Parts: sequence; C-alpha cells; structure tokens
Amino acid sequence: MLAAEATEEILASTGWFLENAWVIPIVPAVAFVLIIFFGKKMPMKGSEFGVASMLASLVLAVGAAWQWIQRVDGVSHAAHSVAEEGAKHGAPFVAPIIREWTWWQSGGFEFGIGQHIDGLALTLLVVVAFISSLVQIYSLEYLRGDRRYTHFFAALTLFSAGMLCMVLAPNMVQLILGWEIMGLCSFMLIGHWWEEEANSRAALKAFFTVRVGDMGLLIGTGILFFSANSWTQEHLGVSGFNISGLSAWAMSGAASQSALTWGAVALFVACIGKSGQFPLHTWLPDAMAGPTPVSSLLHSSTMVVAGVFLVGRLYPVFWEGMKIGDTNINFIVLIGGITIVIAALLAFVQHDIKKVLAYSTVSQLGYMMLGLGAGAWLPAIFHIFTHAFFKACLFLAAGSVSHSGSHHSFDMKKDMGGLAKKMPVTATTWIISTLALAGVFPLAGFFSKDEIIDNVGHNGYNAFMIVGLSGAFLTAAYMTRATYLTFFGEARGAAAGEHHDEHDAHAAHDDHDAHVGHDTHAGHGAHDDHGDHGDHGPHESPKLITIPLVILAALALVAGLANATPFGSNWERFKKYVEPSSEYVVAESAMASGPGESIVLPAAEEGAKKEGCAVVDPEEGKVCYFPTVSHAKFKWSKAALSLLIVAVGLVSSWLFCVQYYTRRNRRLVGLTERNVVLRGGYKVLWNKYYLDALYEKVIVRAVAYPISRAAYWFNQNVLDGIVNAAGKISRRVAGWVYRNIDQRVVDGAVNGSGAAARGTGGALRPVQSGKVNQYGALLFAAAAIGALILVIINT
Amino acid sequence: MDVLRDQNWVLSVGTFLPLVGVLVMLFIPKADEELSKLVALVTAVATLGVGVYTLTQFDFDQADKLQFFADAEWIKVISSNYTIGLDGMSLPLYFLSMVVTVLVMIYSWNHIPSPGNPKAFLILMLILQTGMAGTFIAQDLILFFVFFEVVLLPMYFMIGVWGGEQRQYASLKFFLYTMFGSALMLVAFIALFFKVRGALPEGVEASFSIPQLAEYGGLLGRSAQIWIFGGMFVGFAVKVPMFPFHTWLPDAHTQAPTQGSVILAAILLKLGTYGFVRIAIPILPEAAKEWAPWIGLLSVIGIIYGALGCLAQTDMKRLIAFSSVAHMGFVMLGISTLTPMGFNAAIFGMVAHGLITGMLFFLAGSVKERYHTLEIARLGGLLKQMPKLGWILGFCAMASLGLPGLAGFWGEFPAILSAYSPAVGLPEETFRTFMVIAALGTVFAAAYLLWLFQRTAFGEPKPEFAGNDHGHGHGAHGDDAHDDDLHDVNIFEWIAWTPFLIAIVVFGVYPQLMFKVIDPAVQVALKAFGG
Amino acid sequence: MLSSILAQVPWQSPTIDYHAIAPEIVLAGGICLIILVDLFTSESRKWITATLTGFVMLGALLPVLTLAVSDADVRSMFDGRYVVDEFSLTLKALFLVAGYVVVLMSQNHVEEGDYYQGEYYTLLLTSVTGMVMMASSRDLVSIFVALEFLSIPAYMLAAWRKRDRKSNEAGVKYYLLGVFASAVMLYGMSLLYGVTGSTLLSEIGSKLTVEGQFGGVEALAITFVIVGFAFKVSAVPFHSWAPDTYEGAPTPVTAFLSVASKAAGFVALVTLIYVGFPQAQDVWQPFIWVMAAVTMTVGNLLALRQTNIVRMLAYSSISQGGFILMPLAVAGTGDAAGPALQAVIVYLLVYAAMNLGMFAVVIAASRTTRSGEISSFGGLFSYAPALGVLMTIFLASLAGIPPLGGWIAKFSAFRAVLEAGNGWAYAIAVIGAVNSVVAFGYYGNIMREVWMKPAPNGETTAVRTPSSLVAALSITVVGTLMFGILPGTIMRFGDLVDLTGAFGG
Repeated sequence: MLAAEATEEILASTGWFLENAWVIPIVPAVAFVLIIFFGKKMPMKGSEFGVASMLASLVLAVGAAWQWIQRVDGVSHAAHSVAEEGAKHGAPFVAPIIREWTWWQSGGFEFGIGQHIDGLALTLLVVVAFISSLVQIYSLEYLRGDRRYTHFFAALTLFSAGMLCMVLAPNMVQLILGWEIMGLCSFMLIGHWWEEEANSRAALKAFFTVRVGDMGLLIGTGILFFSANSWTQEHLGVSGFNISGLSAWAMSGAASQSALTWGAVALFVACIGKSGQFPLHTWLPDAMAGPTPVSSLLHSSTMVVAGVFLVGRLYPVFWEGMKIGDTNINFIVLIGGITIVIAALLAFVQHDIKKVLAYSTVSQLGYMMLGLGAGAWLPAIFHIFTHAFFKACLFLAAGSVSHSGSHHSFDMKKDMGGLAKKMPVTATTWIISTLALAGVFPLAGFFSKDEIIDNVGHNGYNAFMIVGLSGAFLTAAYMTRATYLTFFGEARGAAAGEHHDEHDAHAAHDDHDAHVGHDTHAGHGAHDDHGDHGDHGPHESPKLITIPLVILAALALVAGLANATPFGSNWERFKKYVEPSSEYVVAESAMASGPGESIVLPAAEEGAKKEGCAVVDPEEGKVCYFPTVSHAKFKWSKAALSLLIVAVGLVSSWLFCVQYYTRRNRRLVGLTERNVVLRGGYKVLWNKYYLDALYEKVIVRAVAYPISRAAYWFNQNVLDGIVNAAGKISRRVAGWVYRNIDQRVVDGAVNGSGAAARGTGGALRPVQSGKVNQYGALLFAAAAIGALILVIINT
Repeated sequence: MDVLRDQNWVLSVGTFLPLVGVLVMLFIPKADEELSKLVALVTAVATLGVGVYTLTQFDFDQADKLQFFADAEWIKVISSNYTIGLDGMSLPLYFLSMVVTVLVMIYSWNHIPSPGNPKAFLILMLILQTGMAGTFIAQDLILFFVFFEVVLLPMYFMIGVWGGEQRQYASLKFFLYTMFGSALMLVAFIALFFKVRGALPEGVEASFSIPQLAEYGGLLGRSAQIWIFGGMFVGFAVKVPMFPFHTWLPDAHTQAPTQGSVILAAILLKLGTYGFVRIAIPILPEAAKEWAPWIGLLSVIGIIYGALGCLAQTDMKRLIAFSSVAHMGFVMLGISTLTPMGFNAAIFGMVAHGLITGMLFFLAGSVKERYHTLEIARLGGLLKQMPKLGWILGFCAMASLGLPGLAGFWGEFPAILSAYSPAVGLPEETFRTFMVIAALGTVFAAAYLLWLFQRTAFGEPKPEFAGNDHGHGHGAHGDDAHDDDLHDVNIFEWIAWTPFLIAIVVFGVYPQLMFKVIDPAVQVALKAFGG
Repeated sequence: MLSSILAQVPWQSPTIDYHAIAPEIVLAGGICLIILVDLFTSESRKWITATLTGFVMLGALLPVLTLAVSDADVRSMFDGRYVVDEFSLTLKALFLVAGYVVVLMSQNHVEEGDYYQGEYYTLLLTSVTGMVMMASSRDLVSIFVALEFLSIPAYMLAAWRKRDRKSNEAGVKYYLLGVFASAVMLYGMSLLYGVTGSTLLSEIGSKLTVEGQFGGVEALAITFVIVGFAFKVSAVPFHSWAPDTYEGAPTPVTAFLSVASKAAGFVALVTLIYVGFPQAQDVWQPFIWVMAAVTMTVGNLLALRQTNIVRMLAYSSISQGGFILMPLAVAGTGDAAGPALQAVIVYLLVYAAMNLGMFAVVIAASRTTRSGEISSFGGLFSYAPALGVLMTIFLASLAGIPPLGGWIAKFSAFRAVLEAGNGWAYAIAVIGAVNSVVAFGYYGNIMREVWMKPAPNGETTAVRTPSSLVAALSITVVGTLMFGILPGTIMRFGDLVDLTGAFGG
C-alpha cells in the first residue's frame, strides 16, 4: 500500500482549498437549481443566488490559487535546497492535485468525475469566477425589469457551473459534460429574447455550428481513449479518458503517431467550432444578438476560450500529434493565422459595435491558437488571462453605451459618436481596454500578445510571426475606428438625443403589460421601465454598471505585470506558477478509484530533475506530462518593432477616421465605389467572405430541403410503396383469380352452358348454369393430371 | 447456469396482476367510467408496487444471474416450459414498463381520446402491460414469443379505434408488419430448437430455455446459425424498427393516441432490441459476427436517414416518430459492436429513449389537445402562451439530442465510442466509419430538434392562436374556439410527467445507477465474444 | 363391390366387442328414438328432438370416455378392419362434441326458420355416426361405407332451406361433386385392391412395400384415393364446391360441414397415409406438398376478396385445411411422422373449437344484422361488446395469434414440418409463415369492421342471444382459450405412443 501512503503524504502537503476545488462548480450548480425552483419568489427574482454563488466560487478559486502558489514555492524551495543550480534546469515538477471518483463503469471501463487542479486550471477558475461575478453584478442593472430576468440569471449561473466543471475536469468525459452544458447555456442566452426570429435563429446557429465541431470532440475522444487506454491502465492505472494519463501517454513515445495525429485533428475541429476559428467562426458575430452581458461573459472572455483551453490542457497530444516541436507550419498555426487576419479585416466594415468586438474576439482567439500551435504555450494561456479582462471590459462598455448612451442601439454609425463627454467613465475604461487590446506598452495586452508573436518567431514559425504583426496592426486600426465612431466625432442619432418614434409607441404599449415581444432592438428587452429615467438622452450609466467597468479597466491596465518578461525572470510569475514542468517523474500507478476514494497522480519525488521531455523518450518507469517548450529571450528591439507597428496602426487609423467620418474628405469618401479593387474587397468583406452564404444558403438549405425531402420521398414512395404495393397487388391478384379462375373456370363453358341453361328455371337451374360441369371437369382434370405426374415421377 | 430461485412468485404476480384488474373491469358497467379508471389505475399502481418490491428484493451484486427464477412445466410435449427470470439486462426495461403504464394511466384520467369508452381503452392497456412485462421476464423462447405477440392486438385496437384520421391503415400496417416478422421469427426459433437438439451432448434434454440454448447454441454450424439468425433478425428488426423495415413506425406513431405513442415508443420498440441482446446474439455468436457489420450499416443508415426524415416533416408528432428511427439506430449500432460497452450503451439507450421520446409524445399530445393541430408551421410562441410546456419541450429536445448530464447522452456517446473498437473479428475500419457517420448523426439530431423547438416554442404565437394570449385580451374574442384550451400544464400532466423528467435528470447525472445493473448481465451475455 | 369383398374371406360370424362399438350403438339407438319422438310430438313441441339429440351425443360420449380410461388401449375387431384406439377415441370425442355444439347452434336457427326439425336432427346424428365410424375404420370398405354414411345426410342438410334456391344449389352441387369424388376414389380403391389383393389397410401397406419401386398403377391408385379425400377436406383444386355450398347451406350446417366433415376427411386421409401407404411417401408426399401449398395460398388470396362473411369463412377454412395438410406433406420423411400426426390432430381439435365458435358468433350476430355481409357487422363492438370480443377472440385464434388456440395449432404444424428439416420442409414452412400473415388481412378486416367502423344502418339495439347459443359460445371460447394458454392439455391427446404402431392393431 505504498500508493496509499504516498497519497496520504501528498494530500497532507496540499491545502483544503486545493483538495476540495471540485466544490467550485457545485456551488453555482446548486444556485442554479435554487433559482429555477425558488427564483421567482425571491425579492431579487433569484439574481441574489447567482451573484452570491459566483462570489463564493470566486473566493474558493482564489483560495485554491493561493495555496497552489504556496505549494509551488515550497516545492521549488525544496528543489533549490537540493541543488543550487536548480533554476537553470527549468522549474521543478509540481504534481497537480487530481481526485477522481467513479462516476459510471461500463464494459470494464471506469469513468471518473472529480478534479484536476494545476496552474492552468486555476488560472481559468479564477478568471471565470471573477468575470462571472462582475458580469452578474453588471446584469443586475442592465437587465433590470427584463421579463425573463430570473431565467437569465439561471442560465448565466448554469453556464458558470458548466465552465468551471469543464476547467477542472480530470478526464475527457467530464470535460465534454461541461463543454456541452456551456453550449446549451449559450443557446439559451443568445436566444434570450426569442420573440424575435433573428435572435432565435442566431441561437440555433450558434448551437448548431458548435455542434458540428463537437463531432470532432466525440470522435477524437474515442480515438484517444481506445489507443491510450491499455497504456494508461498499465502504467498509471487510470482510464484512457484521464487527461494526465493521455498527456503522459502522448509523451511516452509509445503512442501510435497516427492515433495521435487523428485524435489531435479531431479534437482541434471541436476547438475550431467552440473558439470561433475559421471557418466555423461565423456563429460568433451572430451570437451578439444575445444581451450584452452574455456577449461579454460567454462570447469573449470565457466560453469561447474553451477551445483554446482544451488545446492547452491536452497540449502533449497536440504537441506530438501535430509535431509542433519540429515543423514550421501545422494545422493549428495555420487556422490560427488565417483567423487572425480574416477576422480583423471583417472588423473594419461593421456598423454594429458589438460585431466589431466579436470579430476582434475571433481574431484574438486566433492569436491564442497561433501561440499554442507554435509552441508558445505560456503566452497563449497568458493571453487568455489578459484578454479576458480587457475584452470583457470592452463589451460591458459597449453595453453601457447602448444602455444609457445610444438608447439600446448598437449601430455606431447611426446612433453614436461624441459620447466621450457624455459618458466619461465608460469612455475612459473603453479607451484603456482598447489600448490594452492593441497591445500598447505597458498595458496587459502587450505582455501577452507580444510574447506570442515573439515566441512564434522564436520557434521557427517566421511566416506566422509576420501574420501576427500584421494582425497587431489591424487590431490597432479597427479598434481606433470603433473608438472614434463611438466616442468622438459628432453625435448622431440616439446619441444626439433623437428618439426612435416606433419606440415610443412601444413605450406606451409596454406600460400595460410586461411583455415586450414587439421590440425591434434586442437590447431593448432590458427596458420595460422607461419611466425610471425620464429623458432618453445620453448620460453616464449607473454605478452597478460603471463599477465593474472600472475594475476590469484597472486589470486591463496592470494584469500584464503578472508575467512581465521584459522585467526579468522574477516578474515571470505566471510562468513559474502556471506552466507545468517538463520533468520525468516516476510513474507510480495509483489504483483506479472506487466510489468515494480519491487518487492522486502522480506520486513523484518532487523536484527531481532530468533531461527535458519530448527531447528524448522517457526511460522505463518514468513519465512526463508536458513537452519542453523553449521561451524566446525578450529583446527590446523586437518589442520596439511591434510597438511601432501598433503605433502606426493607431495613428493612421485615427487620422483616417478624422478625415473620413468628420471631415468627409472628398478623396476618401466613396472610395470603395470608385476603385474597383477596393469595391471588390469591400463587397467580399461586407458579405463575410460569403461563408454564411455557403453554410446557410448552400449546405444547410441543401440538407434541410432537397436532400431530406428526397429521403422522405424515398421513404414514402419507395419503401412504403413496396409495402403498400405488396398489399394492393395481392388483393388484385386475389380478385382476378377469384373472378376469372375460381368463379368461371372456362369462360366459354360458362357462356355456352349459360345460354343453354336459359329458359329452364327452377331449382335445378344453378346446376345447369354450367358451374357444376366445370367443377366436375376441374375435379377430374386435376385428379388426372396429378396422377399422371406422379405416375411419371414414380415409374 | 446458476440462478436464484427464492421468491419466484414475484415475477408471475407482477406480470399477471393486470389481468386480474381486467377481470374485475369486465364486470364494471360501461357507463361507470370513473370506476373503470379507478380500478385500472389501482391495478396499475398495485403492479408497480410489485415492481418496486421486485426492485428492492433484486440482488444487485448478482445482477449477472437470473433472479426470482421460476421454471414450471408448460407444454411438455414440445419441451417448452414456463421459465421466467430477471437479470440486470431485463430489470430496467421490466420496471420501466410498469412505471410507464402507471403514468400513462394517470395521464388518461382526463385525456381519454375519442371515441371515449375508457373501459375498453384501459383494459387494452392492462393487457398490453402484461404482454410487455412478460416479454422481459420470459426465459423460454416459446413463452417469449407468446408474450411478444400478446402486445399486438391491444396496440392494434388502440391505434385503430382511438387513433387519428388514417388510424385503420396505420393499425393494419403495424399489425401485418410485426406479424410478418414474428412469423419468420417463430420459424427461426423452431429451427434453432431442432438444430440445437441435434447438437446437444448426451444426457442433456433439449428445451426452448434461453439460457440452455445460449449455452449450446455455439455448437451449431456457421451456415445454420446465419440462416436462423436471419429469421430472428427480420422479426426483431421490424419491431425495433431498423431501416428499411421502419415504415410502419411513423404511421403508427402519428395515428396512435398519445397514450399509444408513448407506450409504443417507451416499451414496444424495445422488445425488438431486447430480442437481439437477449436471444439472437448470445445464442448465435458466429452468426452475430457475420451479421454485425450489416446491422451496423443499417443502423447508421437509419441514424442519418431518420434525421433526414425528421427534417422533412411538417407535423410535430411525425417528426418525433422519425426521430425514434434515428435513436434506435444508435441503440442498434451499440449492439452491433458486440462489445460490453456497446451493449451497455444500447440498453441504457433503450431506457433513455423510452423516457425522452415517450415524454416528447406526451408533449405532442398536449400540444395537439390545446391547438388542435400539430402543423409546425401553424405553431409558434409556445413559450409565450404556455411557458412551462414550452420549457419542458426544450428540456426534452435537449435530452433527446444527447446533451451530457441528461439521460440521452449515455445511450449515444458510449455507443459511438464503442464503434471505434468493435469486438474481435469485426472489421475495425468499417465500424470506425460508422462511428464518424453516427457522430454526424448527433449533429443532425441537434438540427432537427432545435429547429423544431425554434419553430414551435420561440417567436410570437401565430395570429390564429395569438388571440387568447392569457393575461391581456386584445379585443373581444369570446367566440374563439381555443379560448379555454390554451392553459399551461395541468395537474394530471404534472403528475404523469414529473417522474419522467426526474428520471431523465437522475440517470443523466448518475448513469452508474443503471450501468451497474446492466453491466454484469451484459458480460454474461457476451461471454461468447470474450467480452 | 361388396360381393368382391365377401368373396375375399369365407364367412364366419365375427366376435364383437360391444364396449368398443358402444358409441356407435348409442348413436344408432338415438337415431331411431328421435324418429319415433318426432312422429309423436306436436309441431309446437318439436324442440324436444333438439334436446334429445344433444343428450344422445353426450350419451355417446360416455362410452368413449369409459373406453379411454379402460386398460386395453387397442381394441381391434373384424381382424383389424375396425379398430378402437386412442387415436380413434380422441377423434370420436371430437366429432361428438362438435356435433353437440352444432345442435346447440341449430336449435333456434332451425326453430325460427321452421324447417323440419326431427329429420334435421336425425340426419345430423346419422352423419355424426358416420364420422364416428370413420375414426375406427381401417379397411377400404369400412372407410368407404363410413364416408358415404357421413356424406349423404350432409348433402341433404346442405339443401335444408328448401325454399331458398341458393340452398338447393348448394345441396345439389355438393351432392354431385361428392359423387364424382367418390367415383374417383372408388376407382382408386379398386385399383389398390387389384394390385394388393386386399382391402385391409395394414395388408395393403405391407403389400405395397414388397418391392420398393412402384408401378404406375399403384401411383394412380394412391393418387385417386387421396383425391377422393382431398375433395372432402376441400383442398385446392378440389375445393370449388365449398364456397357455394357453405354460403347456401344453413349456417349451422355450414359450421358442421366446415368442421366435422372436414375433420372426418382428414381422419380418413391420415389413416390411409399412415396405415395404408406408409412406405409410399414418394407418391403422396409431393402430391400433398403441392396441395398444401396451393390450398393455403389460394384459400387466403380468395378469402381476401370476400364480402360475405360465410363465404369468407369458407375460403378461410380452405386455407386452414392447407395448414392441416402441411405436416402431412412431410409425414414420410425422417422422424417427422409422429409430430406430423400429432400436429394434424391438435390442429383438428383447435380448429373445431375456434371455427365452430366463429360460426356461432356469426349466427348470434346475424340475429340483429340479418345479413351475411361483412360490412353489416360494423360497430358490433359498440352495441354488443360481448359478441364483439368473442368474435375478436375467434378471429385472432384463426389468425394464429398467441395466446389463443390457433397459435399452438400452427406452431405444432410448423414444428412437425421443421422436424423433417429438409429443403422441401423449409420451403413449405416459409410459405406457411407468409400465408399466416396474409390471413390476418381478412381476419383483421372483420375485426376492423367490428371495432372501428360505425354500425351501418344505425341499428344498435343490443343483441339477445338465446341460451343454447350462449352455451355453444362458452364451450367453444373456453376451448379456444384453454388450448391456447395451456396447450399441454390437448397436446397430450396428440401425444400417442408410437402412432403408426397404434393403428392396425
């Protein structure tokens, strides 16, 4: 029972929060149930459950993170004491805290549920819990009076539960569970104002598109499970679903390359769907039909990074499967790169401020994928971290604008402009986040994005470094455009205080019942109580909205310092605490856990140092859980270059906007009409590269109409036809035989004798009607024939 | 085979108790409808009580053994006995049949379809119950066959008398189809008996007992096995129904009264799949290996094909009916892998599909009752007019498209998974292709279910019904026929539905509840495959 | 031709086992009694004859039972020409019970139709007597005598509704064709006698097998004999009389013909095949195989088209006959002989129960509908639920749906066939399977009328069923259900020790 002792010893060395991190998703899950059943009766319509649960899980997450930091420090300290020069051998190994309980078993396979806590998981846990809390607080105001207020919070809370559950999943099954629950909530929340068909269509599209990707998730899981299971069972005593098991298997060199590759590809397809990568990104912009808090939580900062998380989580699989270490182009990088550019370009032609942000999100996700694909694991994950703050902030700011500035319109061209003066807080936070997003030193974005680009190049993916840089330029440019249109220049439409007349009609209408189905603006659903603020002119939003904005903006300002490579390795905390070490460790197989008992993987002599993983295969009995990724040495020269590019983007775009939107410069305005090339380009962009057309008009329509119709036709007319025909024919045949053979054996005889019989009447008539003759004839004939045949047979 | 014989009266009681109720009801005057309903309900509840007792007495640690095993002489001359027993594979379905009957009875309390006459209706339902329960406990081929057939007539009349416009066509089709299958099946059974009798070792007395046949069935020659399996295949495949034998299903489902559809979906379809896992495959392993790829092929065709059929539907109930074809495709795919994992998935899938699709049919029935139409095009804004109904519909749609955390997923996901590595001797590449196609099927499932949900539940109610949106009355429309109909879920529906909903969630969250019962029995059933 | 037989053996008076022929004696006595009673009863009290006939039937049943329990299991008389064994006893019982049920069915029918009652019952009894004899006959002559004995009264009964032309037509057709058939059969018999020099079946059997190879004459003889009985059991293509006759004859008589006289035909057929030509299977197997296949198929197809219920039942009983023939088609192969015989007997018993029951329901229902059209039974369930359910039960049983009697009959037939287990066997098994499905087409059609259609002319006054009919119905329905649910009960009758040995004494 060495395993058990080891278990004890390690568990002892971990804190309560770490051991019981699995509670984190339980809290919102419970809250969800409470909201569903009692929400309506509560004073705050159930929102209090949501907010409280999110804050609670935030506390738990932070606690766990704190203890993790303690743990890492402790371990590395021990390591140092072992060997002074430990540092230059990369970080020592810190075992993740894995606990797994049997969830179900089938056909000899065990499926667990539990937790897998390490730096990555904790990062996401904290981010999700944090953003969720802020967004829920924000929603308290933003959706006040909404007719499905309670539903909204229920869905929001359930989402957080799902996301948290996925983040700390120790195995693929639980991960899929969380993954799909998020999808469901995304569906419910995008379609929150389902009275309008546009919204319900968007919801459908989102769920469906993601679902297409999820095929890959199922298939990939299957492939990996069956390829890895025997190995993991033998070496680690865990099933082939287990994430650390899969990682070890992938790194062990025992794995079959094809299985790895196909598994990785399949899984990545799922990531493409979930994280809105090209070519399945089209659902994300439409998803903006949902209420703004939803966009800011699900569709920018948390849910959409699930794909990125999955790649990061199963990084060894992708590393080996895609040969990330020793290629200069691979599937992930390619997709990531394409996504960055095409999304960024699309952002230029949007009128809807949220759509700009949506495409920006897509393109930022592209950065993360690019990073992961190019071996820049840490920067990518770090980008998740920073991006979450400033992108959430941007969305909430946009929401704030529409809420109190542009009267529930999101159209920058029609209803915004010059709002900076009216809404100072919103404007400030927005601008900070914009700069952060653009990657201006020393804001958050710089440290993550620049690192990605830097490492991409460093790892030999030079072509994609260029892509990254141009992406940076584009980002800076379109964000400036958006900023200008929204907050500067002259006020237009609602921003200028104009009203939508059709709206007033509704305002009147809305008074006598709490249903707003006829509203033309999605955002409008939030507003049944116009009475509250008398004038609809632009004004700063109330506290509940601005406070989250400020907090997020502050983080957008400083979050980058969590891993400020420029300032030397002491600043690289993120690297120290999050990046798994690529050490060989002794694989002690812990018995698969029965219900209730927990296992900890792996029981390693912590802080042992060997050669890096993935450089050479581990020798017998040793496993490792993470490839050796090299980190680019930070150089100001390189940084300067990208900063310059960003600056150019900002300035040029600003000047352009001034000229174009305010000065109405002759040479610029209408350029897209005059110049063929530009017109063409504009047209393509305006039609989103015709991808939607392809999907909806061609594929979906084809399946939904001709093909299914054809299948149905086949069903009704061929398959069913055969059956019915069989019935009909047999009846026909029967009828024919009955009439023509059974009833009148020999027509002639009937007619003849019938004629003869006419006249004679009475009882004997039927006898002479010929039938009897025929019957008799038949009888004798049959007898004779039968006899004849048999005689012939038998003699 | 070793079996547990204690309390071997339990199963017989549980199976034939409904008939006692029938006898009582025969003497109730037709006019006294309340009494008929009461007696029927009491009988069903009592039966369920026995079922619960069975559940409590069932030894879950020996789920692989036949329990409550009884073996009485029945038709000596053809060496067929009254052999009954319950193991992990049959327990869930046996119990499900009882639960469903009770709930359907409750639903019937104020939902007797025209032309009324609850007495006859409920009597048929009770007979049905006996047939269904009996099929799941029968351990003797002939007995199995008898019960298998007993369900036919009641369902025939249920569809034919209380059904929709084309009820007569539908009912006859249902009947002839099934009968055709079972006739060949019977021939196959008898042929099997003689072949096995020929192959038996000295001193073993031939019988139709399933365990015995499963023990010696392997002795048969391959070609003989293949032919016999073919006969059984037709019989069961019609019942499942598998493509291309499925065409009776949409008609039957669409025309049947709500209760009929529910029972049909929840239990009757399972008789076929159960036949595969209980009889065909364990007894004829060689043939099973030969047939498996073809079964798998038909299954995946069914999955895609059923989905396409759904997309083409304009009638809600017919859509759900077609979705059954797709779902049973997943079940059969799991079975065709001949792996324990696949079998578990299949049996789980049977129960899950029973719960979910049964529930969907309930909803369709209620929608029909309120709107007097199931034309998807005419529906809409369900969520607005009756939010509870709408959300339940959404819930079931989600469950049906295999959302993790709800029961549907555990039938679907492992089935797809198991197709990646089928039993030894089966063509891996083929099955992996099936796996991909099946995965594609899940996407289609999402498509048609969500599309259905979007079109019926979302949006504004159509003008023809929007008139009486409860709460505020735009204009006077007292003359509106639907005025009183558009009420949300009523109490009987709540009572009938809640157990379904709870079960869907519970099994979804903790599938182990069922897997742990099924698994051992499945291992036994598949020991011929080294499972 | 009797002379030829008398020439066969020098005359000595045979020893007679009176216990063995007690049933026949009782019947004979009954016949005389009823004639007398009929003479001395006034028109208003003729119903007595009916009751008496019933008692006579039951009375004749008594010795059958005593014989059944008596220890000597085979009683053979007239050196093996007249044998009483389990086989014959079972069938005698069947004939008597069937006869009794028919009497019950007839009572009101004949009364209300004011036909000659005394004669009616006399003839009925006579015919039954013939059948009872048939069960024991093991000699060409006795078989032929028994056959005529049961047929000739039937001819008259068929024409009983003398004012109705259809009935006359029925009688005359039946008569003429019956005569043709007898002629053919006699020809075959004479040939047999010529070839083997004996009329005793067991001897014929042994003689026929002296040299394995058959001459054309033997084949011819066997075929013709079989044809004779094929006519009795109305096997296609010798069925053409059945529909017209059934439709024309009074319904109880139809029931009688379709059950009892058919059964008698099968009894003779079985006796001949098993005792007469056990070794000649090369001749009769193919012949019967073809007849069975054709009969069940054609019968079904034609039944699909019928609008008159009696006519439909006629064709259905034809196809049922095909099913009864099915096992005989393989009776000569392998060890299928035993199961085949068993199947035939079981089928006859079950068939008697359900078919009589069906006719009883039809009679009962027609009392309101006053028509034989299937459509006239619309909505029967709604206004006469009991009759509706009974009809459903009988129909379902005829269609062979468990757990009703019909299925065990079909089952044992299939079982016997598959026991033979050669290609031919499987072929006919599949044909049978398909047919059993097709059959539901028309049985189900009636069910549909009964359950799902409205009453045609709004005629929904509840039916008053006379007690005698109720009795008939209850006997038959109990039989049908019991056979189905506890098949062991009848299967035991079929389970005779070494059947072929049981014959011949």
